[in-house]
Amino acid sequence: MYINACSTISHQNSFQNENWINELVPLDIKSELITPDYKEFIAPAALRRMSKIIRMSLACSKDCIQQSGTETPDAIIVGTGLGCLADTEKFLNNTLTLTGLIPPTSFIQSTHNTIAGQISLELKNHNYNITHTQNSLSFEHALIDAILCLNEEDSNVLVGAADEAIPLLDELAKQFGLDEITHKLTSGASFFMLSNNKTEASKAQLVDSYTVGLNNSSPGDIIDDFLKRNGLTIGDIDNVLSNTFGTVSEFEIMDTFNATPVKPIDECSGYYFTNSAFGMHLGVEMLAQNSSKRILLYNTLNNSNIGLTLLQSLEA
Amino acid sequence: MENLKRELKEQIIERLNLEDVNVEDIADDMPLFGGGLGLDSIDALELIVLLENDYGIELTNPEEGKEIFQTVNSMSDFISRNRK
Repeated sequence: MYINACSTISHQNSFQNENWINELVPLDIKSELITPDYKEFIAPAALRRMSKIIRMSLACSKDCIQQSGTETPDAIIVGTGLGCLADTEKFLNNTLTLTGLIPPTSFIQSTHNTIAGQISLELKNHNYNITHTQNSLSFEHALIDAILCLNEEDSNVLVGAADEAIPLLDELAKQFGLDEITHKLTSGASFFMLSNNKTEASKAQLVDSYTVGLNNSSPGDIIDDFLKRNGLTIGDIDNVLSNTFGTVSEFEIMDTFNATPVKPIDECSGYYFTNSAFGMHLGVEMLAQNSSKRILLYNTLNNSNIGLTLLQSLEA
Repeated sequence: MENLKRELKEQIIERLNLEDVNVEDIADDMPLFGGGLGLDSIDALELIVLLENDYGIELTNPEEGKEIFQTVNSMSDFISRNRK
């Protein structure tokens, strides 16, 4: 299946900038989310009550619609690790501090499926609409659902992932003793238009995605099995893009992949539960710029979960 | 009454996140829903909560809301007649 559009809002200059992968800078303590003017994508009346995660997701979705020329996707599928945190925090604070009725907006918008729901409302799309939340594997679960849809009767699927950081997360991170530079908690959203049809907009191919939760096996064996089911060995992979929260050492990851170059994405994306979607956009652009033929995304953000996603160039 | 109208306008702007609207932009007789300020059904729920929490007025008949929430004038009239 083909990836006919990609759109990412992150701490990199990634939104509507095809050259962003050549402008990557490692995050530092001052790095901030680089956002577009949301009024170009969302009507002010709707925008006023949308939190950061909804704004990012809607802008990326509409950008994908624009890039791909697919106005009515057959499905809208979203992955999110922690969902709409800002509205959840607001709602919980209201329940603790207010007496009487609780204002409804933050409650309505606190649920994880608000993201996919708001996208469908904005696009006036009544097709399959679902949200996957599976810790660090949320994006991969959304991808697997999208692959299943495309293997059945759907032709075009809008799939993506988003998570938002709120100041409370930084406070919690400090209490866990996490360094805010090496473990910078960030927000980000990446969306893609997947299709069974190759078009002029096609950038790369999505071959397969696979997850293992609460893993007890050797990562090397899992990776070998995944590649084997796609008729490949590690020697067929040109680049590995990996994310880890530091619980798996870089040496261990390098060792797993032998001579295949491994590029860590965390230093550019920061940490959020669905930063593997950032990695997928990065991988797609690397393939589109002909620097690789096959890229494996290796998600070990949570070291007991493994997510594997295989991308290949249009020519491969 | 003028103080109440100003207070209501400030509360509407704050509670409904009307980012680009100032108190001066809301005329006393401007329709709040449909045209005018362009509020929607979620805003109506927020206004019901505002009436109950801030002015102690419980709306028992939802049909009443259509009349009460027409304008800042109609809201302030209703509040001054019913506030506890």
